[in-house]
Amino acid sequence: MSEGTHVHRRWLARSLAVVGALALGPASVALAHEGEENVPAITDVQEAIAILAEHPGVFPPAEVAEHAIDKVGDALESNDTRGVLLDLVSEAKDALVAGKTDDALTLLERSIGACPGAPVIEPQDAPRAPPSLSSPCPSVAHIQVLDRTPVGGTEEPVLIAVGAVLILAGLGLVRRIR
Amino acid sequence: MSEQGASVETTPSEPTAPSTWRRLWDSLDERLGLKGLQYPIPEHANKLAYSLGGLTLITFVLMVATGIYLTQFYNPDPAVAHESVRRIITSVSFGKFIRGFHYWGAMAMIVLIGLHLLRVFVSGSFKRPREANWLFGVVLAGITATLFFTGTVLKWDQESLEALEHNIEIGKLLGRFGFWFSPTFGGIPFLTRLYVVHIAVLPFLFTIVVSIHLLLVKRLKMAPSPFRKGPEPEPTRPFTKHLAELGALALVLVGVLTILAVLAPPPHGPAPIEGIEITKPPWPMLWVYPIEDWVGVAGILWATLAIFIALFLVPFVDRTPERSPRRRLPMMIAAGVVVATIIGLIVYAAVQPVASHIGMG
Repeated sequence: MSEGTHVHRRWLARSLAVVGALALGPASVALAHEGEENVPAITDVQEAIAILAEHPGVFPPAEVAEHAIDKVGDALESNDTRGVLLDLVSEAKDALVAGKTDDALTLLERSIGACPGAPVIEPQDAPRAPPSLSSPCPSVAHIQVLDRTPVGGTEEPVLIAVGAVLILAGLGLVRRIR
Repeated sequence: MSEQGASVETTPSEPTAPSTWRRLWDSLDERLGLKGLQYPIPEHANKLAYSLGGLTLITFVLMVATGIYLTQFYNPDPAVAHESVRRIITSVSFGKFIRGFHYWGAMAMIVLIGLHLLRVFVSGSFKRPREANWLFGVVLAGITATLFFTGTVLKWDQESLEALEHNIEIGKLLGRFGFWFSPTFGGIPFLTRLYVVHIAVLPFLFTIVVSIHLLLVKRLKMAPSPFRKGPEPEPTRPFTKHLAELGALALVLVGVLTILAVLAPPPHGPAPIEGIEITKPPWPMLWVYPIEDWVGVAGILWATLAIFIALFLVPFVDRTPERSPRRRLPMMIAAGVVVATIIGLIVYAAVQPVASHIGMG
C-alpha cells in the first residue's frame, strides 16, 4: 500500500470522526426534547394521524395504536382546542381502543376538518387554516374508496439472484481490469 | 498486385488472424474514430473516488430508461395520478420492480453526485483552470435535486401533496418571479406541469450541461492528484480502460439497485388528503425540516439558496494553487462543519415528531 493511500485513509478517518461528532450533537438535543403540556390539540391530532397513516407495517399494530392513543389523549387534555372537534377525537380514541384503526384515522381526519377520500386536484383549494367542521364530508362513498393498504413486499427471488450475479460479475471485472 | 504479393510474403510471420472482436473494433473505429477514446489519463483517475461522476451519469441514463417505462403507465392528471401509481405497483408487468429501481436509482444519484462534489472539493480539482467546470457541476447537482423533488411529487400521496403545497408557498415568497409555481398559472393542473418538467425539461437541461461538463473534462484534462509525491510524472492509462472499469462498476450499481428494488420497494401512501400535514420529506430533503420548524417555510428557500451560493463561491474563495487538503485546513474545516450540520439536521428531523408548517398551528 502506497504512502499516498495511507495519508488518504488517515484523512478519511479523521474527517469521519469529526463529521460524526458534529452530526450527533444536534440529534442529542432532539432526543432530549420533552414537555408537551401546552401543545395545541390540532398538533396532537395531526401527530396521531401521522402515526396511524405512516407507520403501519413499520411497527407492530399494538405499538402504533398505543402511541396514537397517547397522542389522542394529549389532544383531549390540551388547553388549546381551537379547530378541533373533540367529540370526534373521543370517538377516535374509542375506535383505537377497540382496534379499529381505519375508523380512528378517518375520525381524526374529520375532527380537524379534512376530507378523506376527496380527490385533490389543486392544492390551492386546500383549506390551509382548519376548515369548517360542519362541511358535508366524508360521505359513505368517500370512505369506501379509501385505499389505506400500504403497498409493499415482494417475491422475486430471480431478480435478487440476478442482482447478486451482477454485483459479483462487476467486482470480478473491476479486479481483472485493475 | 505487388502489395498483395508482399502481404503473402509476410503472412507466415503473423501468428493468427485478428479475432472477431478485433475486426469489429477496427471496423467501428474506421467509421466512428473510436481509437480517439484511447487518450492517456493519469493512473489515479481509475480509483473509485474518481469514478463517482461517471457513475452519476450512468445512474442518470438508468433513470431515463426506467422513467420511459413508467411514463407508459403513469397518468399525470391529479384526479387519477395516485390510482395510476397503484396500478403500476399492483398490475403492470415488472411495474413494482421498475418503480423500485427508479426510486433507489434516484437515491443513488443524489448520493453519488454529493460524494463527487465532495471529492472534487477535497482534492482541489476545481482550481484554476477548472473553475467553470465546478460551476457546471454545481448546476448539475441543482438539476439532480430538482429531479428528485419533482419525482417525489408525482406519486401523489400525502407526502407528495404536502411537498407540492410547500412548493407553492415558496413560489409565493418569490413574488412575481414565482408565477410559475402558482396553481393558477398555465390552465392545467400544477401536478401535470411538474410532470412535464420532470420527464422533459430537467432531463434535457441535464443532458446539455453534462455534455459541456464532459467536454471541459476532456479539454482541461484530469486534475493532478494532491496526494502524489515525488518529481517523477504519474503513469498514465488509456481512457478506454477507465471506461471499462466504469462499466464494471455500473454492473455492481445495477446489481445493488436491483436487490434494493426487490427487498425494499418504495412506499406509496394513501391518496392525499387536503387540510392535514402529517409527513416528513424523504431523507435527502429532511435537513431543511428543522429549519422550517424554526423559521417557517421561508427557511427552505433561504437554506437551499445558502448551500448553492456557498458551492458557487468555492472556486472564488479557495483561490490558492494548493490542492492538498492538509494545506487547506480552513476550507476543510468549513466543509466538514457544513456536512456535519446537514447530517445532524437530518438525524434531528428524523427523531422529531411531525409538525405543521403551512398556515396551521
